[in-house]
Amino acid sequence: MNNQMIKIRGLKKSFGSLEVLKGIDLDVAEREVVVIIGPSGSGKSTLLRCINFMEIPTEGTVEFDNIPLNGDANINEVRKEIGMVFQRFNLFPHMTVLENLILAPMKVRGMKKDEAKKLAMTYLEKVGLAMKAGNYPDQLSGGQQQRVAIARALCMQPKALLFDEPTSALDPEMIKEVLDVMKHLAEEGMTMVVVTHEMGFAKEVGDRVLFVDGGYILEEGTPEQIFDHPKEERTQSFLSKIL
Amino acid sequence: MTLDFALIQHELPLLLAAAVITIKITALSVGFGMAIGVFISLIRLASFKPLRWLGNIYVDFIRGTPLLVQIFLVYFALPAITGEHVDPFPAAIAACSINSGAYVAEIFRGGIQAIDKGQMEAGRSLGMSWWQTMRYIILPQAFKQIIPPLGNEFIAMLKDSSLVSVIGFEELTRRGQLIIARTYASFEIWMAVAIIYLIMTFTVARLTGLLEKRFAKK
Repeated sequence: MNNQMIKIRGLKKSFGSLEVLKGIDLDVAEREVVVIIGPSGSGKSTLLRCINFMEIPTEGTVEFDNIPLNGDANINEVRKEIGMVFQRFNLFPHMTVLENLILAPMKVRGMKKDEAKKLAMTYLEKVGLAMKAGNYPDQLSGGQQQRVAIARALCMQPKALLFDEPTSALDPEMIKEVLDVMKHLAEEGMTMVVVTHEMGFAKEVGDRVLFVDGGYILEEGTPEQIFDHPKEERTQSFLSKIL
Repeated sequence: MTLDFALIQHELPLLLAAAVITIKITALSVGFGMAIGVFISLIRLASFKPLRWLGNIYVDFIRGTPLLVQIFLVYFALPAITGEHVDPFPAAIAACSINSGAYVAEIFRGGIQAIDKGQMEAGRSLGMSWWQTMRYIILPQAFKQIIPPLGNEFIAMLKDSSLVSVIGFEELTRRGQLIIARTYASFEIWMAVAIIYLIMTFTVARLTGLLEKRFAKK
């Protein structure tokens, strides 16, 4: 693969006396799709949230596109380039879909309103929701809200996208529409780090799968290696429980 | 005992004019109080601890002391410190604004904290600063939630503004006292004063309800 988009070295994160991440090294290449799996409480969401400093690491370094993250100094600059999609969508309920999409491009990128609207509509079309531009989030289904959230992240034209269990809050019948959008993005070459319980997605779309447990990356490899020939006992036991 | 309605009718224009002054002092105080309150509630959320302490001391001091004492403090203590006389009107507005600010700060803090923390995360993840996220995402949502308690604060200030009568500022209560000093009609005038306060507070309560409904629709 080409250049390293995300470079994490010696990452540790504690919440009070609880050490959640105990030393993580991870590189994500440009255009790579990395899927993080693991039991709940293993630290996989925390790992993802450390990449854009949503959680400030206790120790270690994070580099994004060769820029070391250093807290308040450059965090907004770096976050412009990293989109994030949340488990619970986190759309802005007091704004229409279109307003949700154009806010950050206008306020952060300094885009003109017309320009931002045009951009927003192309991404809404991409996620199949152009007709919902004037609706408020609470008028949409969960699946639609999550697709809007993805479009909102895309409107910043990021170099990478982070997904934090994007389908965990959805009714089963809505999971596919969100995964389809994500799959499409992966095919277009978006760099993605995805925390998910959707093993089908991990197998089909992931270039690399990480199994995280107890604050470490316990095992990593291609989807075939992880799902068909897991080496670690804990990986085997985790997969036997969910597959 | 009978009520002298003719007397009430005769004094009513004077009382109503004073009621307008009461509304003015209340509106100004809650208005300034809101500006102070937003500021204080924001510094109380700051990550810089001394700022937070400052905000906490302010709120604790104001909420822990009687408004009456605060009015005396501003009116009598300030000139002693600055060496300059303070007029009753600015003193009244200052005392009530400072007082209202502490309560509004608490209202805002509650409103801001009631907003899901995922909203701040979503804003920040898009590259917006803390303040941009506050301004465009958190505060507009918080405003909607705080309309009812803000209405209550307005009503409370409407009533509590009667306390500035002690420094001789002639609002509704003070005007009542002065009329009684001239007519000796204590019962009639206090009755009229009470009813005027009641009409004002009731009106504010209804307006708040309407405002709440309008915002809820959106």
